[in-house]
Amino acid sequence: MSGYWTGILTILSINVIMAYAIFLPVATGQLNLGGAGFQALGAYTAAFLSAVAGQSAWATIPAAMAVGGVVSMAIAFPLLRTRGVYLVLATFAFAEVVAGAILNTSELGGAMGLSVPEYLDYPVPIIAAILVTLFVFYLMATRFGLTMRACHDDDVVTDLLGVSIRGVRVAAFAIGGALAGLAGALYAHTFSFVEIQSFNASLSIYVLLYVLLGGTQSALGPLFGAAFFTLLPEVLRAVLPQVKGALAGLFGIQGALSPPDESWRFVILGVLTVLMMMYRSEGLITRTLIERLKPGRHPASATVEEASA
Amino acid sequence: MTQTTDRNILSLRNVSKRFGGLSVITDVSFDVPAGARMALIGPNGAGKTTIFNLISGFYQPNEGEILLESRAIQGIPSRKRIGLGVARSFQNIRLMPHLSVVENVMLGQQARAGGILDMLKPLSLFGRSAWHREAEQLLADMDLPTYPGEVVATLPYGVRKKIEVVRALAARPKLLLLDEPAAGLNAAETDNLTAFLKRISETGVTLLVVEHDMGLVRRLCDDAVVLNFGRKIYDGPTATVQDNPLVLEAYLGPRHASKDRQGAAHVA
Amino acid sequence: MLLLQQLLNGVMLGSVYVTVAVAFTLTIGVLNFLNFTIPTLFMLSGMGAWALTKWGLPLVHTPPFPWPMALLFAIVVTICASLVVERFTFRYMKTKYGDATEHAIPLVSSLGFLLIIENLMRIGYGTEAQRIAAFDWDNTITVGGLFLRVPQLVSLLLALLLVAGLNWVLKHSRIGRGLRAIAENPDAANILGVDSRRLVPVIFTLTGVLCGLAGILFAINYGEVSPTMGEDIGSKAIAGMVIGGLGSIWGAVLGGLIIGIAEMLTIHFFGADTVQVAVWGLLLIALFVRPQGLLGHHSIGKGKL
Repeated sequence: MSGYWTGILTILSINVIMAYAIFLPVATGQLNLGGAGFQALGAYTAAFLSAVAGQSAWATIPAAMAVGGVVSMAIAFPLLRTRGVYLVLATFAFAEVVAGAILNTSELGGAMGLSVPEYLDYPVPIIAAILVTLFVFYLMATRFGLTMRACHDDDVVTDLLGVSIRGVRVAAFAIGGALAGLAGALYAHTFSFVEIQSFNASLSIYVLLYVLLGGTQSALGPLFGAAFFTLLPEVLRAVLPQVKGALAGLFGIQGALSPPDESWRFVILGVLTVLMMMYRSEGLITRTLIERLKPGRHPASATVEEASA
Repeated sequence: MTQTTDRNILSLRNVSKRFGGLSVITDVSFDVPAGARMALIGPNGAGKTTIFNLISGFYQPNEGEILLESRAIQGIPSRKRIGLGVARSFQNIRLMPHLSVVENVMLGQQARAGGILDMLKPLSLFGRSAWHREAEQLLADMDLPTYPGEVVATLPYGVRKKIEVVRALAARPKLLLLDEPAAGLNAAETDNLTAFLKRISETGVTLLVVEHDMGLVRRLCDDAVVLNFGRKIYDGPTATVQDNPLVLEAYLGPRHASKDRQGAAHVA
Repeated sequence: MLLLQQLLNGVMLGSVYVTVAVAFTLTIGVLNFLNFTIPTLFMLSGMGAWALTKWGLPLVHTPPFPWPMALLFAIVVTICASLVVERFTFRYMKTKYGDATEHAIPLVSSLGFLLIIENLMRIGYGTEAQRIAAFDWDNTITVGGLFLRVPQLVSLLLALLLVAGLNWVLKHSRIGRGLRAIAENPDAANILGVDSRRLVPVIFTLTGVLCGLAGILFAINYGEVSPTMGEDIGSKAIAGMVIGGLGSIWGAVLGGLIIGIAEMLTIHFFGADTVQVAVWGLLLIALFVRPQGLLGHHSIGKGKL
C-alpha cells in the first residue's frame, strides 16, 4: 500500500476512535465539547512514558487509556451536575485547562512538544479502530446501551423506571474518556510527535460535529460521520482544483488568491452542519432508518389492522 | 377506614404537598386494598397527578406518610420505588421515542435487571436474549404485535398508550398507577382498553386509575376516591359516587348540585 | 505603581471582553442559545474594517473607504451576517420527537457558521495578521504616572455607555419588556401577546451591533486584525459571561472586567503562558461552585424555549 493511503487510514482510524469517545456521552444526552482535552491527556501520557520513561507501546497505550478514563471519571461527578449549556461550557473549559496545563509543564515539552521514539505503523491504529467499533456495537446492544439511549430520550422517566441516570452517564463519560486516551496514544505513536497546538478547541468542535452529523442514535452514526469527514478532504483534493479553475474562469479572476484547501473542507463541514441541523437534526443515521432497513424479521406480526387497536 | 391492615397495598396518611405558598394536596388519606381496581377522580387541578407524583417519588410530601405494604416509602428515591412494586404510566405518553417497541418494554424490566452482569449482557446481539424473548412474550400476552421496523414515535396513539402500560407491567409491579389511560381514545379504543386493564387486574396487579371518562371508571373500578382542590371529598363505591352532594358540587358548582344529577355523570 | 498600571491595563483589556460578553449573555438570557458565531462576527467586523480601508467594497470596485466610513460599514456588514445566522440557526431548534439534546441544535448550527465564516476569511485573506495603516498613530497619554492609551479609554467608555443604554432599553421600552417576558417564560409571553418571532431578530441585530462595535474597537486599539482574532477574545468573553452569571448584562460587564484584570495579574505574577490555565480554571471552578455566576439567575440555561 502506498504511503498516501496508509496515512489516510491511520487518520481515519484515530478519528473513528475519537468519534466513539465523544459519541458515548452524547448518546446519553450529554454534549461533550472537550474531546481535544481528553485526547491530549492520552497523547501526552503515551509520549511521556515512551520518551522519558522508555516504556514500550504495550505499556503506554493502556496507561493512556487509564489516564483518560480515570480523569474523566473523576471530573464526571462535578461535571455532570451541570446541564445543557453549562455542561457544554464546562467540558470546553476542561479541555482549555488541560491544554494550558500541558503548555506550562516543561517536563512535557511545553510549547515545544515531545518526540515519541517508538513508531507504530498503520496496522495498529486500524486494528484498534476495528476493535473499538466492535466494542461500541456490543455495548450498545447490551442493557447498558439501552439505558444510555433511554437517558438521551427522557431522563425523568428513565429514572422512574429504575435506572441510575448518574451511574449510566458517568460510566459513558468515563469509557469515552478512555477511548479518547487511546486515540491520543495512537496519535502520539503514529505521528511520532505531539504538540499541544494539535489539540485545540477546533479539534473538539470537529469531533463533536462528526458525531452529531453521523447521528447519535446508533453506533453506526459516528462511524459514518468520521469516515465521511476524513475522506472528504481527499476527494476535495482531487476535485477542488478543477472546480476552482472553473469558478475562476467564470468570474474572470486571474488566480490572484490561492486558497488553502484545508479551509474549504471546513467550509463544507460548516455548510453541511447548518443544513443538517435544519432538515435532519437527528443526524444521518437514525433509528427509524436502521429499523426500516433491517430485513423484515417477522413481517407477519406487523399487520396494520393492529395499528388501530 | 384509615386503619392499616395487611390487605392494603398502598395507604396515604394525612399527606400534604405545597409548592411555595400554594397548597396542592391537603391532608389526604386513603387506602388501596391489594388486588383492587380503584379510581382517583376529581375536576381539573384537583391534585390527582400530584398524588401520583408523590407515590412514585417525583415529589416529596411536606407532611404525612405514604405506606406501601405498611412500609413508609416517602424517603426512598424515585428510582428505587419501581423495585418495590410501584409502576406507573403518564398523562402524556412518555415512551422513549427512538426505541423500538420491544426495547421500550425491555427498559421496563430494568427494575429486575439492575445488576452489573445484567447490564453488560447483550439483549439481542446473537439471537434474542431471555429478556428479549420475555418482552415479546409479554406483548403477545397482551395481544400486541412487536411492530418490527418501527420506532414507537411513529405508532398510533392508542397503541402507544397500551405499550406504555405494558412497559410498566414488565417491571412486574404489585401496584400500577395509570394516569388518564383513556384520554384521547375513541369509544371503541376505550372499550378495548377497559378489557385490557381488566385482564391485567386479573393477574393480581392492583390498579389505581386517574380518569376523566366516568364510563370507564364505572366499568373498571369498584371504588373511587374523589379529590377537589387538593382535599378528599369522597371515598367509597363507584356506584354511589354521583349521589354524593359534595362530588356534585365539585363538578357542577353549588347551584346545580341538587337539580342536575344526570349531568354529573356526563361531565365527570 | 507597576501593579496599579497592570490593573488599569486589565480594566482596559476587559472592556473589549465586556462588549462581546454582553452579546453572549443577551442571546443566552433571552433565547437560551449559546451562539458560537459571536466571536466570528467580532472577527468579521475587524477584518471587514481592514478590507474596506484597503480595497473598498470588492466587486463594486469603489476606491478604498476613509476609515470612519469603513468602520461604520463594518458594523452594518456584521449586523447583516448576524441576521443571516438567525435565519439559519435559531429558527430550527426542534427535533422530530423531542429529546435531551434538543436545545443544542442552534448551538451546533452556530458552530457550523463559525467554521464557515472563519474559513471563508482564511480563504479570502490568508491567516496572517493584517495591519491597518490608518490606526498607526501614537496615542498614549500619561495621567499621574500611569500610561493610558486613548482608544482603550474610548473603548471602555463606549462599552459602558452601550451597556447602560441597552439596559435602559430592556427596562423601559416595549420591545425590552417583550424580550424580558420571553426570557422569563416564553410560553406565557406568547399567550400574553408577545410575538417572539418578531423579537428574535432584535436580539440578533443587537448581537451584530455589539460584535461589530467590539471588532472595530479592537482594530483601533491594536491596529491589526486577523481571521483568528475572535478565538481568544471569544473564549475570554465566554469565561467572563459565566463568571458574571448567564443572562445578566451587568454580570457580563463585571465578568469581562474580572477576566481582563485576572489576565493582566496572571501575566504580571506568573507570565503570559499561564493565562489560559488561569482564565479557564477560574471558569471551571465557577461552573462547579456557583453555576449561576456572580449576578446571574439559576434557572437560565436549563433547556427552556
